[in-house]
Amino acid sequence: MGNMKIKAKEKNGVVSAKVLATHDMLTYDQAKAKGTDANFITHITAKVGDKVVYDVSTSQFWSKNPQFKFKFKGAKKGDKLEVTWTDLSGKTVTESKKIK
Amino acid sequence: MERRKFLGLGVLAIAALPATLSAITSIDFRATKPDTWTAKTVDDAVKALFGDIKPEEKGVKVNVPAVASNGGAVPVTIKSDIPAKTVAVLQDMDPESAVAVFQVPEDGIVDYSLKIKLKATDENGGKGTVTAIVEGTDGKFYIGSKGLDVAKGGCEG
Repeated sequence: MGNMKIKAKEKNGVVSAKVLATHDMLTYDQAKAKGTDANFITHITAKVGDKVVYDVSTSQFWSKNPQFKFKFKGAKKGDKLEVTWTDLSGKTVTESKKIK
Repeated sequence: MERRKFLGLGVLAIAALPATLSAITSIDFRATKPDTWTAKTVDDAVKALFGDIKPEEKGVKVNVPAVASNGGAVPVTIKSDIPAKTVAVLQDMDPESAVAVFQVPEDGIVDYSLKIKLKATDENGGKGTVTAIVEGTDGKFYIGSKGLDVAKGGCEG
């Protein structure tokens, strides 16, 4: 825990997932003002087992500490939802949570 | 600087590909369509991503608040019942247009919510539009958009 908060709930075969990632999402402009390098999440993938259920390439314009929601089919209560993000610096964080 | 990092990432992504290719369908659009992310206008970003397309104006719902008080985190929801392959989210307030490109899994549900930064400036007067383009599994393109006002000073970029 710590880096990502995940909530996933199954109802009528559809899983609703809510994720809160902790990341500064420093844009190029913000970084310039601060005199550091820009760094932001560039890709997020969520999987249940081997199956990708959410996959997005992202830009610097996601908000700080990005919060996002999505829905998918094909998983049941007790399955593990695994979310991974990668940022511009190459850092990768993975967190998983059981679907309720 | 920017470009160098970009290329570095691309190499990484390619290096990582063989191991993951068989199991998943994850596409890194930042590596495969790099020009999308540096495009300054929605039109240019769309061209870089999808080519010369003429999207139909139907079936794509973009939800944003009419007035966003905090430009640093504007809630956006994209919904569509069209069986989709790709969904792109773009806006016309920030220095570059692209916000997100979703690779929709087979049988995927297009109901995506995220929070984005929108920069109110003197030029745009705090007015902007969020646009979503859906590439259907039928190979056609669909577009939806919604305008909003963003309070000034909420976002630093």
